[in-house]
Amino acid sequence: MTDKPDIKVLLIDDEQTLLEYLSKRLLREGFTVKATFSGEEAVEVASNENYDVAVVDLKMPGIDGVETQKRLKKIQPFLQCIVLTGHGSVETALESGQQDAFKYLLKPIDYENLVETIKEAYQKKIELVNEKFKEQVEEIYRSGLGAKGIKKAINELRKLYGID
Amino acid sequence: MASIEQLEEKLKKISRELSSHKIELHQTRGYLQCILQNSNDMIFATDVDGILVSFSKGGEKVLGYHWQEVAGNFIKHFAVDPKDFERLIRTSQTQGSAVRLELPFRHKDGHTVYCDVSLITLTNTKGQNVGLVGVCRDITAWKKLQEDLIRVDRLAEIGRIAAGIAHEINNPLAIINEIAGWASTVVEDAKGLSNEDRDELSKAVGHIIEQTKRCRAITHQLLGFSRDSAPEKTEFDLHELLRKTIVFLQPELKYKDIDIVFNFQDKPIQLRSDPKMLEQVFVNLITNAIHAISDKNNGKGRIELRTMCMENYVEVAISDNGPGIKEADKERIFDLFYTTKPPGIGTGLGLPICQNIMKKLGGKIAFESQIGLGTTFKVAIPLS
Repeated sequence: MTDKPDIKVLLIDDEQTLLEYLSKRLLREGFTVKATFSGEEAVEVASNENYDVAVVDLKMPGIDGVETQKRLKKIQPFLQCIVLTGHGSVETALESGQQDAFKYLLKPIDYENLVETIKEAYQKKIELVNEKFKEQVEEIYRSGLGAKGIKKAINELRKLYGID
Repeated sequence: MASIEQLEEKLKKISRELSSHKIELHQTRGYLQCILQNSNDMIFATDVDGILVSFSKGGEKVLGYHWQEVAGNFIKHFAVDPKDFERLIRTSQTQGSAVRLELPFRHKDGHTVYCDVSLITLTNTKGQNVGLVGVCRDITAWKKLQEDLIRVDRLAEIGRIAAGIAHEINNPLAIINEIAGWASTVVEDAKGLSNEDRDELSKAVGHIIEQTKRCRAITHQLLGFSRDSAPEKTEFDLHELLRKTIVFLQPELKYKDIDIVFNFQDKPIQLRSDPKMLEQVFVNLITNAIHAISDKNNGKGRIELRTMCMENYVEVAISDNGPGIKEADKERIFDLFYTTKPPGIGTGLGLPICQNIMKKLGGKIAFESQIGLGTTFKVAIPLS
């Protein structure tokens, strides 16, 4: 039944009502969704579970979107962040933090665009993971370990990248 | 008793003194005349009835009349409100002098000239009133500058407030947007709805989403308007930017019968400015031109983009052959929220944003318009 990949999305916004409805829509779209209401909560959740894409509001009480993104990236380097902003222009948002977000989107959200962007961000993540995985696998082979050692090392990598 | 010689000597002395006084008097009069005639202020004197007996060169400049034209006229008739001026004269007569910081006069060509007026009542040695002297400084330009400053200040303030409100409204707007989106999927999936009800509901929710989009456009424009970010200057080709802008506007132009005419100067123009900000200005001006042409039903539309290098700036002129701007609208088109477009199309933000951007870039924006012929907006971008 799964011609579509299971994309795990982490939502972070202090507007609870917004997330309530956005989660419902994204769930129906077939995403796996976790909603969190602050940067702190998101960081905590992300240290226990892997996500593919995070959708972060730029302006939040506590740690803001840019800082949240930075901390999330530290925990999960492959996680792609989409930053939402109410600013008049995306450039302003870019000025406020060069934390290489996957994309900046304006609020109110253009839903179709968001769904599309989440899918693109997921593709980017997969590419990055595969690239890095390949690199490390090659390194393991080059390292001259025995067959058993290689298998063990690769299994560890699999675990690390969340590949089953 | 003094001898005749002595008397003669005395007479000679007195007449010498007299003639030296005469010379001095002449010089003083010349000196005063010189001051009077060279002053930029309007200085006048009247007789006891208020009829002009003297009128300075400055006065000729301020009111536009020659001395010969005003001689023998009542000074009060040159004031916009003669009765008010008469009251000022009466105050001066009872108190010796009178001052008014801002009194409007009528210039010969009809426009109003604002003057800072001080009147002094002339009295003779017996203390009788013999006339009036007035010194009037033309403060029209100063007043206009003052008003402009207030206007710019107010505009900036309105901009800040509006952006604050826009920001606050943007969040609930985002929520309405999500709820409406969710509602539309629920309506789609709902079982037990008659087709008629389903259509009715999805149409209604569709309208909510549409209107949210409309609000979104406004809040984003407002936030962009008050954005304090400094221009990011880079080097670019102006002609290329203008061509790109037209490509960007293709969707707007698609189904309209409008010719775009590029009338660029031969040599390419390399500029150092903020191309993104300028693009926003061009997009706004060309969109306005497109809307103007659509307003006029008959005839083919034509928008001309012209560039010209001046000594220290580049001029971009955007002309349309639309209906032109009405006289009454001309003064207000740069006002925030002032629009002549139908609701949903115009927000009254486009031109104030353009003006704001050009101010930031050290340039200028101006327009010429003739009813029935069209409008030309001219943008001046500084070269250095």
